Amino acid sequence: MPFTMVNTRIVEAAITPGQTMFSQRGAMLAYRGEVAFTPSITGGQGGVMSMIGRRVANEATPLMTVEGNGTVLFGHGGHYVRVVDLSGDTLYVEADRLLAFDGTLRQGTMFMGSQGGVMGMVRGQVSGQGLFTTTLEGHGSVAVMAHGGVIELPITPGRDVHVDPQAYVAHRGKVRNKLTTAIGWRELVGRGSGEGFQLALSGTGTVYVQASEEKL
Amino acid sequence: MTSPVVFDAHSLPASDNVNAYAFSVALDGQWFLQRGKMIAYYGDIDFHGVGLGRLDRLIARSFHSPLHAADWVVAEGRGKMVLADRAFDVNSYDLDDGNLTIRSGNLLAFQPSLSLKQSIVPGFLTLIGTGTFVAASNGPVVFMEPPLRVDPQALVGWADCPSPCHHYDHQYLRGFLGGVRAHTGFGGTSGEEHQFEFVGAGTVLLQSTEQLMDEIATGASPDQAGVPVRDR
Repeated sequence: MPFTMVNTRIVEAAITPGQTMFSQRGAMLAYRGEVAFTPSITGGQGGVMSMIGRRVANEATPLMTVEGNGTVLFGHGGHYVRVVDLSGDTLYVEADRLLAFDGTLRQGTMFMGSQGGVMGMVRGQVSGQGLFTTTLEGHGSVAVMAHGGVIELPITPGRDVHVDPQAYVAHRGKVRNKLTTAIGWRELVGRGSGEGFQLALSGTGTVYVQASEEKL
Repeated sequence: MTSPVVFDAHSLPASDNVNAYAFSVALDGQWFLQRGKMIAYYGDIDFHGVGLGRLDRLIARSFHSPLHAADWVVAEGRGKMVLADRAFDVNSYDLDDGNLTIRSGNLLAFQPSLSLKQSIVPGFLTLIGTGTFVAASNGPVVFMEPPLRVDPQALVGWADCPSPCHHYDHQYLRGFLGGVRAHTGFGGTSGEEHQFEFVGAGTVLLQSTEQLMDEIATGASPDQAGVPVRDR
């Protein structure tokens, strides 16, 4: 795998000739060797139609392609970094959390409404994902940013995981998520617990949660 | 889980980190420290501004950076002094007859056996000699060896190697599409066109983010021929 953690906030990526890596613009801290950083006009993979899709979906984060021969240190904004290795499964993550990822991964956008209809769209609003989220699929690695350290919670059938929507970072696997509300008369009179909305994730997979309720 | 630790004058570490964000100096004599970085002290310590007066000899020996004089004070006495800076990571470094250049805002304090000079690179200070100094960084510091190209904002300092030069990478602005990009701005920039390049033997210090600690005004270079001028 091309990523090695240097410390909690820096990841080192090996760049080999003929392989492309995508990274958030401006996230390079240092590099060795001959490496070129080119702004990606289309904001990732898949040509112009994918670009338009991402623009419409508001999942177009400024990316650059990283090519050449050497090693690069990536880090951004002092955020904690977590490397996720994918082997054929799909990672659902917000585009602005992507620090760097393998060019071998297929990048796509998913409509929140396609998982749970209108409630899926409401869920997207509450968790800050918006109406769309980015998917990465295939074999390769992704470096994801989070505010505070990342906790990895396994989801197994029969054991649902409930996550504060603001602390949600990403998830992978065959996971169904739905927004649960616990709103009663206390919320209506302004004496709520502040935990009225939760994401309930069920199925088989993993959810990544950050140790903070602050979005990036 | 770690419970809060209570320190007193004896249990406070002697010249060691209290935690990642605070450093305790066991003072017996004099130390230079940047104004406002002391957060607490035990013992009998006086703080004097760097200027004319009875500290003349000390300053003549170890402080060769008149432009930064207003930002530095001398702590004098016996006791323990805790240093910190806006919850940034703090570390101490030992120099053994060496030299190290550091971004001026990142240096918190140094022992007078070192001497402080202005680097020829604007905004940086050079420490020469033998002794200990304390520096802050936004996130943990990573040590790297040249040859290396560094994002200017991630650079904390460097030791023993020659001063860096600028490296510009405009490769993607060549050719027809590159020309369109350069003239219309279409496609944006990668933000990585400019780096500091280090060559030779030595060590380069990086912080864990490209977010600088806020600059603290440290004066301007004298307006003389041949002196690099800080362009901000």
